[in-house]
Amino acid sequence: MISLNGYLIISFCLFLAGMTVMIARKNIIAILLGVELILNAAALNFAAYTRFVNQNLDGHVMSLFIIVIAAAEAAVGLAIVIRFFQIKETIHIDDATELQS
Amino acid sequence: MNSTVVSYLSQAPGYALAVNKLTELFGFDATGFVNFLLFFLVAFIVVNVMSAIGGLGTYAERKISADLQMRQGPNRVGPYGLLQFLADGVKMIGKEDVLPAQADRFLFLVAPLMCMVGVFASLAVLPFSNGFTLTNLNIGVFYLLGVSSLVGVGIFLGGYASNSKWSMLGGMRGASQIISYEVPVTLSILAIVLMTGSLSFDVITEAQGGLPHEWFVLHNPFTFIGFFVLFIGALAETNRAPFDLPEAESELVSGYHTEFTGMRFAFFALAEYVEVFVVCGVCAALFLGGYKVPFDLGTGELIMKTFPAVHPMLAKQIGNILQLKVFVLKTLLLYYVVIWIRWTLPRMRVDSLMVLCWKYLTPIALFNLVGCAVWLWAFEGKSVWTLIFKSGVAAAGGHH
Amino acid sequence: MFLKIMFVLSALLTLGGAFLTASSKNLMHACVYLLACLFGVAGLYATLGADFLAAAQLVVYAGGVVILMLFAIMLTGGVQEFVNKFGLDKTPSMGSGKTYTIAGLSMIVTAFIVMKILAPVFKTPAQTDLPAFTSTVEKLGVLLVTDHVLAFEISSILLLGALVGAAVISRPRRGK
Repeated sequence: MISLNGYLIISFCLFLAGMTVMIARKNIIAILLGVELILNAAALNFAAYTRFVNQNLDGHVMSLFIIVIAAAEAAVGLAIVIRFFQIKETIHIDDATELQS
Repeated sequence: MNSTVVSYLSQAPGYALAVNKLTELFGFDATGFVNFLLFFLVAFIVVNVMSAIGGLGTYAERKISADLQMRQGPNRVGPYGLLQFLADGVKMIGKEDVLPAQADRFLFLVAPLMCMVGVFASLAVLPFSNGFTLTNLNIGVFYLLGVSSLVGVGIFLGGYASNSKWSMLGGMRGASQIISYEVPVTLSILAIVLMTGSLSFDVITEAQGGLPHEWFVLHNPFTFIGFFVLFIGALAETNRAPFDLPEAESELVSGYHTEFTGMRFAFFALAEYVEVFVVCGVCAALFLGGYKVPFDLGTGELIMKTFPAVHPMLAKQIGNILQLKVFVLKTLLLYYVVIWIRWTLPRMRVDSLMVLCWKYLTPIALFNLVGCAVWLWAFEGKSVWTLIFKSGVAAAGGHH
Repeated sequence: MFLKIMFVLSALLTLGGAFLTASSKNLMHACVYLLACLFGVAGLYATLGADFLAAAQLVVYAGGVVILMLFAIMLTGGVQEFVNKFGLDKTPSMGSGKTYTIAGLSMIVTAFIVMKILAPVFKTPAQTDLPAFTSTVEKLGVLLVTDHVLAFEISSILLLGALVGAAVISRPRRGK
């Protein structure tokens, strides 16, 4: 049961769930939740390949960097969301039209 | 040396017998099954004992506060009022479980459990003695930091789900306080990790000795300051006075657990008292020598030397019990200090709380970290006392 | 045996959390389900023998990201349903039937593409003799400051930049 395929399928489902969240939601924070799911799917893949294909731990380092980037992304993304809310008083993604000509 | 409770108990004579019997009974290798049963049993005992300690914590708090205010305190139920916490528990179970009409039902049910799970999961790595540790993770400190941050989520959700202004403010304060004070706490723990080169509680404890001059708190000036930074940060992380802003009863009724009744409220209270015990245990293990007993009593070597007739296993058992006693004694002393501080100091203001964290504790902790690294590089990890002793010997030798 | 039980539990937690995150109508609940999902992923790391990664996942996500998300939800008006300001109830902020249909269609397309890529991987025989679990902390530490030292330093600069940037962006303007 515990094989590369099992982990790949789990990570695949995580990716699909994250993509669904990103497309279906119109709330910016909910979209950020989807981004977290997708980043986790990628990190899980790296760890799984490290265990089952080559055991040289470079995949773990890569996953660690993905976790770091996810933390940085969440901090900056949420700061932008809060600033957006201060200006527009909404966090609906369709209201982010400042750069539209 | 570093053994978990399962590997420790597997040296007992009855273990092999049980494994053989069960293997015959089931027809497959029963080692894993017996190990699991042993682990389950010990974990059950630990959780129950910890709940009792959490209950006794409320009793101790009331008794000590009464002592500090020249009152009697609880003295009706049982001898010296010792069974007061059981009576309180029965009362809590008997109370109606009120769920506010406007509350967020799912989060309201889940929040107290999150606090409980976060606290009790951190018990898994607490080093009670050499043989009595539930798991000997090589990332124990890191695991403890991660699991105990679940308490912050629980407090925040408890405040949000009640749908009350007081709870909301209390929950917000609690969560911001916990994630702010995690920074100095982690930095001062990191200094110790730097000195021992390991994240495991076992290795950190073994690197210290039984007598006070071998503890990390008196190892060098930087760790001495680091201990107090860790202790202040731990007080703030467990929402104890003078940092009990989230449950400041003069402003916020009771903070994040205002709307909780009956057993749900008891879960929050129990989680808080057990967390104080865990945090005191971490302070004791990292800085105060943990379970180390002076003069090799802990490993049973001294007993074996003085009384050669004693069976070595028995000597080891006695040593283990001594270690357990020493660890619990150190932890309970710190627990007393925590309660003492609560009933002595007035509560801080919110802004001065944040100023203390970000303008004082964090820079001091960073300075300590760098200082420890420099000390390690300059003196090769020797303690102050070793250096003084050495220079004394050199000076005495110089006269001849 | 124990590993299998842990794998199944973690996988169920992960998949259930991900599904509920995608389907929940309440943003706060979605955030809590995301926390469950991330704990499941930490459990999966543990079954893969990546002990340090599992602990890092717990520290970063439970202690940092999820609390940050909850705070951001509170500071932007809680779970009230925002609608587009140009029309009444144009698209609910947590998605409507239309957006979910679009998401489902693109999900199916992506699933086909990824399955095409994964098919040769699934056909390769499973490796049977896996090495025993060892502690990865020391090796990971050595790798971080030898082979990957440039990425390590750059990520520290990235974190500093994110810290300063987040503080500057979310600071309230003086004039307003």
